[in-house]
Amino acid sequence: MSLPELLQITWLSLTVSGLAVLLAFLTGLPSAIWLYLREFRGKRFIISLINTGMGLPPVVIGLFIALLFWRNGPLGFLQLIYTPAAMVIAQFIIAFPVVAGLSFVAFEQVEAELLLQARALGASRLQMIKILINESRLGQLAALIAAFGGVISEVGAVMMVGGNLKGYTRVLTTSIVQETRMGNFTAAIYLSLVLLALSFTVNWLLTSIQHRGETKWKRPNWK
Amino acid sequence: MEKTELEIKGLRLTRGSNWVLSVPSFELRKGECLVLFGPNGAGKSTFLRIAALLEEADSGEIYYQGRLVNDGNRTELGRRAVYLLQKPVFFKGTVRDNLLLGLKFRRLESSEQEKRLEAISRLFQLEPYLDRSPFELSGGEKQRVHLARAFIIQPDFLFLDEPFNGLDVDLKDLLLEDFSRIRKSTGTTTILVTHNRDEAAFLADRIMVMIDGEIVQAGPVEEVFSRPATPDISRLLGHETLVEGIAVGEEQGLLKISAHGQTIQAYGSALPGQRVILTFRPEEVILTKDRPRTSVRNWFYGPVEEIKSFDRMILVSVNCGFNLKALISRASLEELNLQPGEQVWAGIKASALTVAAP
Repeated sequence: MSLPELLQITWLSLTVSGLAVLLAFLTGLPSAIWLYLREFRGKRFIISLINTGMGLPPVVIGLFIALLFWRNGPLGFLQLIYTPAAMVIAQFIIAFPVVAGLSFVAFEQVEAELLLQARALGASRLQMIKILINESRLGQLAALIAAFGGVISEVGAVMMVGGNLKGYTRVLTTSIVQETRMGNFTAAIYLSLVLLALSFTVNWLLTSIQHRGETKWKRPNWK
Repeated sequence: MEKTELEIKGLRLTRGSNWVLSVPSFELRKGECLVLFGPNGAGKSTFLRIAALLEEADSGEIYYQGRLVNDGNRTELGRRAVYLLQKPVFFKGTVRDNLLLGLKFRRLESSEQEKRLEAISRLFQLEPYLDRSPFELSGGEKQRVHLARAFIIQPDFLFLDEPFNGLDVDLKDLLLEDFSRIRKSTGTTTILVTHNRDEAAFLADRIMVMIDGEIVQAGPVEEVFSRPATPDISRLLGHETLVEGIAVGEEQGLLKISAHGQTIQAYGSALPGQRVILTFRPEEVILTKDRPRTSVRNWFYGPVEEIKSFDRMILVSVNCGFNLKALISRASLEELNLQPGEQVWAGIKASALTVAAP
């Protein structure tokens, strides 16, 4: 495998998964806020659905998206099957419940009294939501880390809806499968190392943001 | 008459089948400190949260400065009120961030924010802590930050739910004095909830006693404490005697107070001419028919008005120009052979008197 080819594959992995997580964040966070603020019948049912969604096998989502975008499927006219866009959509569906579910849990961990005090100090509705997000920042970033980790490493969905087309929809995970099948173990190992390095870099960045400006706590001595 | 800042009409709140609050009318005057006094579970905190527009009642109208404010739309007027929870909870960030939060909510200019921060941290002696996390502070320091973040907003109304609860005595006295001084200098109209008599006596311009969701008595603190309207209130107040007087001077470390035509001596400090409130507990009072020569400094003379029997103790009310209550044993009563209407001497040591500035 040539270096430009490797770079192109790595870049596609990063952009497809990054975009999917970004979309999941932009929709998952407001959904979690909405779910947190509203009381309605069936709220528990929705939360259970989201929690189930966190554990959905990527191949099942891949199958679902493939059926949807298949040439003569209901959305076939969009001609998205075997495109990076379809891969983003599939990974978005994997990432969304992770972001929404973990964000919701993070919100629930914020003391209710803190929000009451914010209100009592004159916070508007929007300002209270800002407080809510800020107070649960650690949890929000944990949600992003979990979501990114889930999609960057999955192979089932991208394989099914992207098709592993060389130079077009081939990403790191599908290349590893491909090289291993062909007996090119050295290439597979190198690709794996690149994937791990990429995953580590992104997580390291997110973790740095997560703990930025945190007070250094005096932890109990565990010895 | 002073202006009515806050008015509540026909307030009712029910939970399930029993009602929790019923306040037909309530008024708060500009600049006053009203103490809402009552036992735990009387509905004081709920009433306070409703007045602060944080909870809704089943019915009733709330007016801030003459304008209806509980009509569902939280107006700018609603922002002029600040409510402090009993437990100080803090937001992420430093003491500075926590103090400025209320101003940020109101989008105050940053130069004005800085100015107020400087003034308020000086007032509450918080300068050394500004860049620390509020979570590392001691209980008393936390309480200071808690109070300071309300005052920095310069609210028209301040609603405080037991702000001095859980502090040890020395700290509490200090904070009480600081709070009282700052509140007076800022002229902030305040409702303070407490079930502590000393706090109530020290801070209140006016006191309202709440039992089972109803205001059972309201009036100046001296009046309510010395003439409880019902036995329930009397029991609640612990029969403490309150005397209002004027400080006239100090002699040999003793403060002389003129009250009801008599001079009373107590330990404490006040400027001559300053109005003070003296309190003492009925078990500290000695009763005798002949004035004895003892170290007891203060003697009052008057007729016995009422003799009330509790288990083993007897509560004797004496009218010495003010209503004095003495708690004595059944044996002493028999020895004295006291009857209602009889004249009696009541003695109280200077050290048993508490002096408070109203």
